[in-house]
Amino acid sequence: MSLGISIVRDDARAKVTGAARYPGDRVGPDLLHAVVVFSGRPHARMVSMDVRPAFAVPGVVEVVTAGDIPVNEYGLTMFDQPVLVGVDGTGRARVASDVSRWEADQIAVVVAETPEAAAAGAVALDVDWEDLPVVADLEAALTDEVLVHPEAGTNRYVHHRIRKGSPEAGWAAADVVVEGTYRLPHQEHAYLQPEAAVAYLDDDDRITVEIAGQWTHEDREQIAHALDLPPERIRVRYPAIGGAFGGREDMSLQIVMAAAVRKLAARGIRRPVRCVWSREESIVGHHKRHRGIVHARWGATREGVVVVAEVDAYLDAGAYNYTTNKVLGNLHLTVAGPYEIPNLRVDSWGVYTNAVPGGAFRGFGAPQGAFVAENQMNRLAEALGIDPVELRRRNVIQEGSVGPTQVPFPAGVSMPAVIDACAEAAERPVAVPPPAIPFASLPADESRLRRGRGFACAFKNVGFSFGFPERCEATIELHGDDEVERVVLHHAGADVGQGAHTAFRQMAAEAVGVPLERVEAVWSDTAVTGDSGSASASRLTFMAGNAILGAAEEAEKRWRDGDRPAIGEFRYVPPPTEPFDPDTGRGDVNFAYGYVAEAVEVTVDVGTGHVHVDRVVCAVDVGRAINPRLVEGQVHGAIVQAHGYALTERLVVEGATIRNPRLSQYLIPGIGDVPAHVEAVIVEHPDPVGPWGARGMAEMPFIPYAPAVVAAIHDATGVWFDEIPLTPDRVLAGLRRAGVAQ
Amino acid sequence: MKISVTVNGTRYERDVEPRTLLVHFLREDLGLTGTHVGCDTSYCGACTVLVDGRSVKSCTFLAVAADGAEITTVEGLAADGELHPVQEGFWERHGLQCGFCTPGMIMSSVALLEENPSPSEAEIRHALEGNLCRCTGYHNIVLAVQYAAAKLRGEQPPPADWEEVGA
Repeated sequence: MSLGISIVRDDARAKVTGAARYPGDRVGPDLLHAVVVFSGRPHARMVSMDVRPAFAVPGVVEVVTAGDIPVNEYGLTMFDQPVLVGVDGTGRARVASDVSRWEADQIAVVVAETPEAAAAGAVALDVDWEDLPVVADLEAALTDEVLVHPEAGTNRYVHHRIRKGSPEAGWAAADVVVEGTYRLPHQEHAYLQPEAAVAYLDDDDRITVEIAGQWTHEDREQIAHALDLPPERIRVRYPAIGGAFGGREDMSLQIVMAAAVRKLAARGIRRPVRCVWSREESIVGHHKRHRGIVHARWGATREGVVVVAEVDAYLDAGAYNYTTNKVLGNLHLTVAGPYEIPNLRVDSWGVYTNAVPGGAFRGFGAPQGAFVAENQMNRLAEALGIDPVELRRRNVIQEGSVGPTQVPFPAGVSMPAVIDACAEAAERPVAVPPPAIPFASLPADESRLRRGRGFACAFKNVGFSFGFPERCEATIELHGDDEVERVVLHHAGADVGQGAHTAFRQMAAEAVGVPLERVEAVWSDTAVTGDSGSASASRLTFMAGNAILGAAEEAEKRWRDGDRPAIGEFRYVPPPTEPFDPDTGRGDVNFAYGYVAEAVEVTVDVGTGHVHVDRVVCAVDVGRAINPRLVEGQVHGAIVQAHGYALTERLVVEGATIRNPRLSQYLIPGIGDVPAHVEAVIVEHPDPVGPWGARGMAEMPFIPYAPAVVAAIHDATGVWFDEIPLTPDRVLAGLRRAGVAQ
Repeated sequence: MKISVTVNGTRYERDVEPRTLLVHFLREDLGLTGTHVGCDTSYCGACTVLVDGRSVKSCTFLAVAADGAEITTVEGLAADGELHPVQEGFWERHGLQCGFCTPGMIMSSVALLEENPSPSEAEIRHALEGNLCRCTGYHNIVLAVQYAAAKLRGEQPPPADWEEVGA
């Protein structure tokens, strides 16, 4: 009744009229303004910091430093970063607080009457540093000559293994071997709304932070930990969120803004404090998709059966773990592709450097894994003379297949059907419009244009897994007398723009069995909503849907017992998972997967190196499309973001410093740069444990795009590329090396 | 400096510092926070407003330069609660996700359709080159503008292409 229909998203009216409020939209004379001061030094020990010159700036009210953070440590999965770097630490932290390990380590918050005064106060801080040798990149880090975290004993601080079958036996059986070393780039999230927050004491004197994040309760937990306060004293609320894509999973302003409010309150100042980052602060100040280097060697029989793969992968964690250990786990799992390979050795390392931390970004390690696996597969197809789609059909995982972790995949494996759906749709000819914006101001020379097609597929887990205590809570109130007149859903799940709240309301209406108009909701506020878990890992529809189903059942039971209103609270816990075995990688690591395949057609200008993507067919198994229009929006958005990853977005990080932190220098696709024609093929193969069969899907269309483009460029030019983004200069250089271009 | 501007039909006399940017004047002085700041370098277009009918990136336009001008922001488009056809298009055709770029996209689209009531797809894309979106992939934004163009011409908007979607 309420599912499978494309209602307009609930927040559309507020967003088209300018009424939607984002975190930086609070204005007024009662505000104080904060500037967060970065160290500006990738590796240095702080000798001293004198805050008195900042207080001498007219309008400066307060300066927050390390001494104001009782437990000066932060980390989603490892406490390896000081909240504020400083020399006045309390000593109650597991990490040395006087060392800056990243150019955007935060050292102080200056609070003032105006943004200008806060900025002047920040400049006035008198800080002395002793510079330390900088570990600029993976190559430097792997020597272990300089350690970013001496307490870890090595820069290679996390290592996963897979030992399946016998690679020796595999090599003995292999007729054809392909080998490649792949270099994967950083990627910046570039959500349109730079970080911003307003923090204040609420009516119950809770330290309250209004911010755009991805998991209200984790934000609260991190603030409470660092400030050594009970979580009930902290409140986190999300107003409208201007995009996230994983980039808001780690803390930016949460802890330091709460600390500022606390310090002001101790002086009797109860004014709200606002901080809004510039684009430059945003790009320098938050983590990125990991860059990395992966070496892969795969072998297959003449008949096209992949019998062995060996892979060594390195991800640049940057200065702090953030979620690197988890991202690495996903790379590790996906780097041999959705194929049943009997003999497999994978070694994956996360490596500290002084560069920007790597962390969550749509796909979470799977894009890097798929780039390697699908390039290897496409090169094997060429070496064997077998059609790339056919080669996949011969090796693809099926229901019951034993995966790289040596246990069967969870039920509901639809990879073969998704590959078929994509290949069939791609065979249907369509009239593809010419590029909306030509390559250049002059028309392209037709004789230089080469056309080609490429294919890739991928899988990724849905939900937090590898042993994580995954859960999601929902509360449903049923109001009325004889019949349910009004339903109120309480849910913390973050609507980062994907339309989660609209889908949740649809699922609540379906679960209770009332028309959609009767469902109201209370969202994303730790004071009034239970713990939803994060808006990441393509998990929210899956997890929230199951929580809503449970809450509705509980509420209906109470309704039948006569409760008015009848209130159902439910905490959904999915099937348990376990981490990789440290020696073999064995384990039941995930409870659900999403599957995706993409076919692309490109035109390459061999005179200029420009690559134009003419057509993309994306088949993605969503299990059940709760709101097909929102699903299609995720496909289009993910493909264009992946287009940037594959072709245009080059973050320059030299000497562990970001050199191009502006949207004028770091080029995300504009409306004229995108694929000319995108077809979304929505496959609905139910997940056995998904709500109404739904799977997570928002990351999937991103994942196979880059290797599909690389394959199409090879089809067009005969040249393989092993590094992205394929900007024109890089393409031209590669074509010249191969003698294809002059 | 004293300036006098008409914003969304209301006249304001204000004293502003010469360095004040129009976007900050609109947001901080007038409380019109529908106009967003996405990049500070006039690249993303989230701050686009109309100054005397022309689209302007208000993050690189001084408030004093708007003295005497008529300014329209996204808050000024809907008349008596009725959405402007461009707003309706973005609503109806799902031309937004996070919504942060949306006010700028809408204002640039309004300016385009005032100049060119029947733009081709290429002309729509050309007109919106200065507005970045990170969520939608732009496809539905083009559909939204096509919807609005038809509405403004008094025609029935073309059917959505959702039917083509799915297999």
